[in-house]
Amino acid sequence: MSDFSVPGGQPAACPFHAAGANHEPFRHEGMYEFFASVRDDVPVFYSPQIGYWVVTRREDVLATLRDHESFSAEIATQPITPWPQKVLDYLKERNFTNEAVQVACDPPRHTRIRMIASRFLNVRRFSFYEDALRKLVRVYIDRITGLDEVDLVDAIFYEFPAQVVFLLLGETDFDPRKIKKWGDLRLNMVWGKPSESELELAVHDLADFWDYACELVEARKVAPGDDYPSFLLARRDGDDAVLTENEIKSLVFGLLIAGHETTTNAAGNLFLELMKRPEEWAKIVRRPELVANAVEEGLRYASSVVAWRRTAKVDVTIAGQDIPKGDRILVALASANHDGACFDDPETFDVERRNPREHLAFGSGIHTCLGAPLARLELKVLLEELSARFPDMALMPGQEIDWTKTISFRGPSQLRVRLRG
Amino acid sequence: MTTLHFVLPDGSSRDVPATPGHSLMETAISNGVPGIVAECAGSLACATCHVFVDEAIASRLGGPEGAEDEMLDFAAVERRPLSRLGCQVKIEDWMDGATITVPETQV
Ligand code: HEM
Ligand code: FES
Repeated sequence: MSDFSVPGGQPAACPFHAAGANHEPFRHEGMYEFFASVRDDVPVFYSPQIGYWVVTRREDVLATLRDHESFSAEIATQPITPWPQKVLDYLKERNFTNEAVQVACDPPRHTRIRMIASRFLNVRRFSFYEDALRKLVRVYIDRITGLDEVDLVDAIFYEFPAQVVFLLLGETDFDPRKIKKWGDLRLNMVWGKPSESELELAVHDLADFWDYACELVEARKVAPGDDYPSFLLARRDGDDAVLTENEIKSLVFGLLIAGHETTTNAAGNLFLELMKRPEEWAKIVRRPELVANAVEEGLRYASSVVAWRRTAKVDVTIAGQDIPKGDRILVALASANHDGACFDDPETFDVERRNPREHLAFGSGIHTCLGAPLARLELKVLLEELSARFPDMALMPGQEIDWTKTISFRGPSQLRVRLRG
Repeated sequence: MTTLHFVLPDGSSRDVPATPGHSLMETAISNGVPGIVAECAGSLACATCHVFVDEAIASRLGGPEGAEDEMLDFAAVERRPLSRLGCQVKIEDWMDGATITVPETQV
């Protein structure tokens, strides 16, 4: 494969080169079709637009995520489009000391912090929130009952996951729209293609967002509650070797993003696919016991995280392609989840699929999503409650679906439905 | 050859061939034993490979330690004295015929 190892030095007719030339990392329209067209022939290609090796098959994506000795995760939250010095200077001025604590750090630091965070973020504790989640969803549903038409994203999916994060953080009086706006800005700053002037505007909000996370932690120092920041502070018990205060602030700041953007998008994706297929929706209405499997199929078929990043720590070979130490790698989770080697008839959305759970929407290996059980619970409650309350719900015809424009996150920005069919 | 006897939550059971050096989790997954999820693929990061081993394994290997021990505290089904994370138990020849019980749920 040495012929292909030099990016740009590939012959034009070669499928590796064509894949790289046709890869549009920020474009969501046609993304699945693109990967379906290359996956059989091209397990890895170089994408010149972003300067990353793109891994397309499930087997290789999984092997990459599992191998934290050869691949570093430190790049995971670094801006795809580098920030200008002006922006960095401003953040320094504003005391923006957010540091990598989880998804973008490597062992042993990652291990130390994950062992503490997972004592709060785990399936056992999440299950205590089920009743509260259901109540929250019902409040949103009550608000739209009686309407003919509604945008599900705007009316429910946008805010609900943020409210759930507030439950974890013990926040009772904060505008979820504000958190959402901060989250959207941050996602665009890191995973999007913002212009310099957009960045200069957004950075003020980013600093405000950080201040908010810091104030929240400071408040729990004075008046602890039964919540995540209070739990972290108690574990720390003043010992920097366990966790520093800045690490706790960074964990809270991280949760304020990780905990809702992805779930908002996952709900939009799941309901869009169901609404596009009235026969699949009817199955859920008739047989609610299919809900858990349908949630997994939604995560598989239309993952809200379509791609994630690693760097090679040593010279590696992926599917026969030599990749030198230091090179950057984009694992295409969306492509892996449509890999025919694992999923029969992968382009079909089937709520009764035998093995949807083998998707990699939550990553794998030491960084496997810590919120996965909570995201699943949120999606399950949403699907149960909405299908019970609006069994005849149907997609409004003729709407253009507009996607978020980042390299990693995918979700419809609106989803208009008729509630009574 | 080493054979393991998996008992499933519905009371049924399955005998599967096992390779020394592989983990209980890998053996279950590669033989299609249901009920072992292994979300993190053996990275000691998910606790969805929870199993109950038999007395013989427990007494010979001792109990779980360190991170495994901590993580068992938040497995979906409450831990018991014979609880282990399947990805942390390496199969050895003497385990031939051992009984491994799969809990009701992992998630
Ligand atoms: C459908 C919704 C979600 C999706 C698709 C998703 C996806 C992901 C992915 C792909 C990763 C990186 C995995 C890797 O590097 O291998 C991740 C990590 C993480 N997620 Fe999620 N996530 C979701 C919801 C949540 C929620 C609700 C929370 C918090 C309550 C959360 C908290 C985290 C944390 C803390 C990490 C970092 C774990 C680590 O590095 O050790 N996520 N998630
Ligand atoms: S497979 Fe995740 S802890 Fe064993």
